[in-house]
Amino acid sequence: MGLLVNIIIIAVIIGFAGYQIYRAVKRSKQGKCAACDYDCEAKKLLNKSKKHAL
Amino acid sequence: MNHFMIKQFNGLDAATTQRLHSLGLQVGSDLQAVRFYPFHGPVIIQVDHQRIGIRYRVFKQLTGGEAS
Amino acid sequence: MTTVALLGNPNTGKTTLFNELTDKYAYVGNWTGVTVEKKVGQIRHSHTQVIDLPGVYSLSPITKDESVVTNYLLQSSPDLILNVTNASQLKRNLLLSVEVLELGVPVIITLNMIDDLKRSGYSYNLKTLSHELGCPVRTSNARNKEGLAQLKADLVCEQADIKPNAPLQLNYPMMVTQAIRQAATALTQKNQVEPKFARWLAIQYINNNKVVRKYAVKHQLKPLLSQKAYYDAQKFADEIFETRLSFIEATLAAATEQLQSTKHVVLTSKIDKLVTHPVFGLPIFVGIFYFMFKLSFDWVGTPVSTQLDKLLSGPISTWANQFLTQVGALPMLRSLIVNGLIAGVGGVLVFIPQIFVLFACISILEDSGYMARAALVTDRIMELIGLNGKAFIPLIIGFGCNVTGIMAARTIEQPKERLITTLISPFMSCSARLPIYSLFVAALFPRHQALIVLSLYFLGIVVALLMAKVYHVIFKAKEHSIFIVELPQYHIPRLDIVWHGTWDKGKGFIKKAGTIIFAGTVLIWLLSNFGVHGYVTQIDQSFAADMGQILLPVFKPIGIATWQPISALLTGVLAKEVISSSMMVLFHTSNQGALIAMIGGSFTALSAYALLVFILLYIPCFATIGTIKSETGSAKWAAYSVVSGLVISYTLAFLIFQVGSLLM
Repeated sequence: MGLLVNIIIIAVIIGFAGYQIYRAVKRSKQGKCAACDYDCEAKKLLNKSKKHAL
Repeated sequence: MNHFMIKQFNGLDAATTQRLHSLGLQVGSDLQAVRFYPFHGPVIIQVDHQRIGIRYRVFKQLTGGEAS
Repeated sequence: MTTVALLGNPNTGKTTLFNELTDKYAYVGNWTGVTVEKKVGQIRHSHTQVIDLPGVYSLSPITKDESVVTNYLLQSSPDLILNVTNASQLKRNLLLSVEVLELGVPVIITLNMIDDLKRSGYSYNLKTLSHELGCPVRTSNARNKEGLAQLKADLVCEQADIKPNAPLQLNYPMMVTQAIRQAATALTQKNQVEPKFARWLAIQYINNNKVVRKYAVKHQLKPLLSQKAYYDAQKFADEIFETRLSFIEATLAAATEQLQSTKHVVLTSKIDKLVTHPVFGLPIFVGIFYFMFKLSFDWVGTPVSTQLDKLLSGPISTWANQFLTQVGALPMLRSLIVNGLIAGVGGVLVFIPQIFVLFACISILEDSGYMARAALVTDRIMELIGLNGKAFIPLIIGFGCNVTGIMAARTIEQPKERLITTLISPFMSCSARLPIYSLFVAALFPRHQALIVLSLYFLGIVVALLMAKVYHVIFKAKEHSIFIVELPQYHIPRLDIVWHGTWDKGKGFIKKAGTIIFAGTVLIWLLSNFGVHGYVTQIDQSFAADMGQILLPVFKPIGIATWQPISALLTGVLAKEVISSSMMVLFHTSNQGALIAMIGGSFTALSAYALLVFILLYIPCFATIGTIKSETGSAKWAAYSVVSGLVISYTLAFLIFQVGSLLM
């Protein structure tokens, strides 16, 4: 039981890390705003309006 | 001493001329040289209460060769 | 939904106004070209959408960011245009207004920065202006929130309530008027262009607007294309300019009202006397940076950061360790959390004070108006290299993040110069590299922290400039670069803008801690705890050690004697902060103090400096590589920047270490 929880937690952490790397690579490919880590308000609004459009 | 008049835009490339025009500079504008940088570096000029930095070469062209 | 477009000359306060109107915050700086792409916002509690466009001097674009505006007007028609002008430089601001008014879209002009105008001793009669220009004219001062309520009321109205403007009709010389009329009529009849728009198109086409000319070719507007040679031969563009200017001068002369004369902008002149001094200008520029690093490393940043580190490595680590043992976590999970995440991610987070102090300094510089002066005092040096003083601004922005720096390069007119600026941007020392500098300077140069960091920053600049020169020769960039910078009046930095600027830049760093730094740390933990035989307790048998060992001979000549930094460099490509967290994990320490001692033990001052130089210049991070690709439009340049970074950094680190070894 304890072992299982341990393994699950480790898996979650590693999985999250893997997902972040995957996302970073994908985002970098887009470049521009997407690659930038500064989440300025304009970018947020832009994203919001994109979501509305979909 | 440091007052000049813009004599001409000849000899400047189109983009520079366009930008200077957009800043409201024209033949006959009164131009005050505020500061010269050594080694023919940029010149700060004042026209219509606004200060602009331009290159020495451009400054010479505008004022038609005379510089103090 | 009503759409309002903000349009105006650079540095007239559009973005400040945008932020005030939309109750939102976009990036503000006191220099030309802050907004390089259009931004969209919404006025709170309304259906009004506001679009913040980059500042332009005219609708005939010279730079990439300027063409954003013309393209916007060609492609979409806003319900209302708010033309933001700088009240004290109305003459040239109105040159743009005239072009906009000719479009015939409803326009409201606001004389922004009205306080600057009043200080200079005169004002304008708004009624006269409004009558002459044929549109409502308001006054405002976005920085002090003056006149904003009125503007907001003007903008928040239903589409149907907006009063239409008739397009402004100037008395162009007869020949020009005739040409415009003929072209407009033909466009309306043959190409079914709407009459008002047709007239505007004709004027812009005759006025040699490059974007409009391209538009005409694309849409096969024959009436315009067929007359091109005639328009240009007659120099109609010059006549248009002169007509507009004399119209504006007449209008302003009629509207000017003298106030009692006051001392004119004393503050700006006084400061300028000093900071733009022909001889002292450059030393002052360097001094300002030295002061910034002093503040970040010696006076404020590092002491606070040391306290944070004590907290993290002491109570937090111990508590986490005990807690995990109690609940029966496996040693492996305990190691992952305590030695991996807390030591690694936490180890980077403790550098928040330094980074925030530095960002606050940069924000103050941006808001005050110093940047334009920096461009000026550095122009002579930049000219020698064939670059433009203005290229300095993207480079300085690159100190925050190389990606934003590359985006800011859009304000540079010449495509080749822009490419060069993009390619040299990664050499600028971005904030992500600060943590690793911090670690090393604390370990090996405790007395001269600020000086060493300053030297790295300037080395970055020097390498960038030298490379620029090389590219200039290779690309045979012959085009004359335009160097015309406006020197805006100084503003006393406003606390909330500085704070917002700092937070905007710093937020990215904190966010990265939860994403890419976290991921990098987990990756390096995995690499350092697993080897060919599975889970290893001896780090020397791990993958990380293997990789490091293989590459060790390559790095020996630049003074790296252990494998740990090499593995850290590899993961650093994800994000430069990961180098620091990897070092924490690889040296198996849970606190900065122990790591600093370790570094002190395995490096000499010389080899540490060589390593720092290598870190400064080697491969750009993923995000930067991606941006280079998207801005240059080719994967080749992105690949090239990786290779060139490696070659240059290795060569330089090699030279520093070898020559240094001989001397010492």
